[in-house]
Amino acid sequence: MDDPTSVDPGSSSESVEAFASPAAGLARKQLGFGFWLSVTWVAVVVVVAVLAPWLPIADPDQTGFGDRLDAPGWAAWFGTDSNGRDMFARTIWGARVSLTVGFIAILNGLVIGGSLGLVAGYFRGPVDRIISFAFFALLSFPGLVLALLIIASLGTSLMVVSMTLGILSIAPVGRLARSATLSFAEREFVHASRVLGATHTRIMVRELLPNVLIPMSALALLGMALAIVAEGGLAFLGLSVSDGFSWGKMILLGSAPRTLRDAPWVALVPIGAMFLTVLALNYAGDRLRQHLDVREMAFGGG
Amino acid sequence: MGFLARRLAALLAVLLTVTALAFGSLNVLGDPLFNVVGFVASVDCDAVLAGEVEDVSGQTAGGRGDCEVIEAAKREHHLDRALPVRYGLWLGDIVRGDLGTSFKNEMPVRQVIGEKLPKTLLLMLVAEVFGLAIAIPWAVAAAYRANRAFDRVSTVGSFGLLAIPNFAMGIILFYFFVVRWQVFPSRFEDADLLARLKSLVLPGLTLGLPLAATYQRVLRTDLITTLQEDFVQMARAKGMTDRWIMFRHVLRPSLFSLVTVFGLTTAGLIGGALVVEQIYSIPGLGRAVVEAVIRDDFPIVLGAVVVIATGFVVINFTVDVFYSLIDPRVRRDG
Repeated sequence: MDDPTSVDPGSSSESVEAFASPAAGLARKQLGFGFWLSVTWVAVVVVVAVLAPWLPIADPDQTGFGDRLDAPGWAAWFGTDSNGRDMFARTIWGARVSLTVGFIAILNGLVIGGSLGLVAGYFRGPVDRIISFAFFALLSFPGLVLALLIIASLGTSLMVVSMTLGILSIAPVGRLARSATLSFAEREFVHASRVLGATHTRIMVRELLPNVLIPMSALALLGMALAIVAEGGLAFLGLSVSDGFSWGKMILLGSAPRTLRDAPWVALVPIGAMFLTVLALNYAGDRLRQHLDVREMAFGGG
Repeated sequence: MGFLARRLAALLAVLLTVTALAFGSLNVLGDPLFNVVGFVASVDCDAVLAGEVEDVSGQTAGGRGDCEVIEAAKREHHLDRALPVRYGLWLGDIVRGDLGTSFKNEMPVRQVIGEKLPKTLLLMLVAEVFGLAIAIPWAVAAAYRANRAFDRVSTVGSFGLLAIPNFAMGIILFYFFVVRWQVFPSRFEDADLLARLKSLVLPGLTLGLPLAATYQRVLRTDLITTLQEDFVQMARAKGMTDRWIMFRHVLRPSLFSLVTVFGLTTAGLIGGALVVEQIYSIPGLGRAVVEAVIRDDFPIVLGAVVVIATGFVVINFTVDVFYSLIDPRVRRDG
């Protein structure tokens, strides 16, 4: 359905002209309030997560901060869990792991998928065919199953989990990078660079990469949301990060039937944090995608 | 038919790659010998044979020395062969329908999967039914008055629904319908089909709601496009009611793009089924895989992954072929 080869080189030069005319410039959509609200939320979560060790909050591992399963109140804003640990502090510390996983994962996907897509789109021919097939094969695996397979063999360290989830975004990112490269590779500035004697590497890095990175930024936000959710899914399969705890692991702990009955907030607080963050990333990514007019973009999900 | 032949070749190539990836990652990343014999695998048999280390005989079952156990396991599972050879042998077994036997309880993997898979498939079916049953009326109502109040609210709603991870949805539904209101059983009931379906309502909804949101978005866009066609105006001019036009003339030609998202959503559905089975303790394939991962039961993990991945590839292949068979122009003319 989204066939990358259908990118029409002619349409891109038209859009450049449209971009140059002032009327079209005015007609371009603003990113809007919702976009900036989402970005602000993500920024706040990131800052709080980074600063967690220096914030005046309880020790997230300190049992007996309150009684067991205290309801949310003044002492513990988000209540306490079944070990009497402060849920507010835990939510902040959980964000550290969840965001780290999301960030490393999408970085991994961007670096590997982006460079493969760039190479495929630039050289075309057999190189393109091999790389495109690799993307196709990667997409032929239900994401969580592939992650399960790798993590089951390599263990559940933060790095393994993050890198594995990054593999899931290689194919979507790579396909986008490839089609973007295809649409730019025949443009005048690339020809000019080639005439001036630039090497393939120089053309790809200096001329094509900056252009390809722009549409990829929207995908990066969506991919990060996907990785955060996938990590939560892995937690339920008993395969989440073993060092430290993430939102996914907190939700798992809170989902034990008795805890859920007596203290639903233990599960609902991290669910809320994850929901808001994923919503913000999805919304910002989606707005950015519309703004940049990126058509071909599909994360299979799961 | 050249097209179909090419697709079939691609299907075979992808199936080979996917199985090689599954087999390779478990064999290269993991230690198959360890999975068969446990910690004994760390015994250095070369050193034992050279007489440098004493073989701790009789410590394992059957009174055999560690190295004999290792050698027997290597022979049985072809672990002394090169990896590509092992892949070939394994693939040959699979084609003949032999997925191996579980390391832990000696059950044939095929039997385990045959027992668990129907429950997972039923769960996915229930989810699809929920997804479509919710999405179609929802999309029709939204497209009927596009960009008006209901449509705007439902767009926000579907966006929000897609941001709820399936495990979160599962827990929220579980909390309200099982813990608070006790409308549904907390465990999977396997008495008859009716009990099974009742146990699958909540898990099905958990997976079906985000599915409905995806379907609604696609279907809504298509309905709005179809509503602008001339034949709709024609029908209106003839004095047909809006309801009749919507369901008899507009809905059917708009349903085709759902086929394209079907392939994409299946991946999410499979992953979701694995997770939701944990929450609602459904004894399906997902639970079997997770248990097997914990117990290092390598053949079950591999067998299940191969079955899941093959199913997924075949579904996508079918969707692809099916969609290209329905030429989009056909629906313009009809």
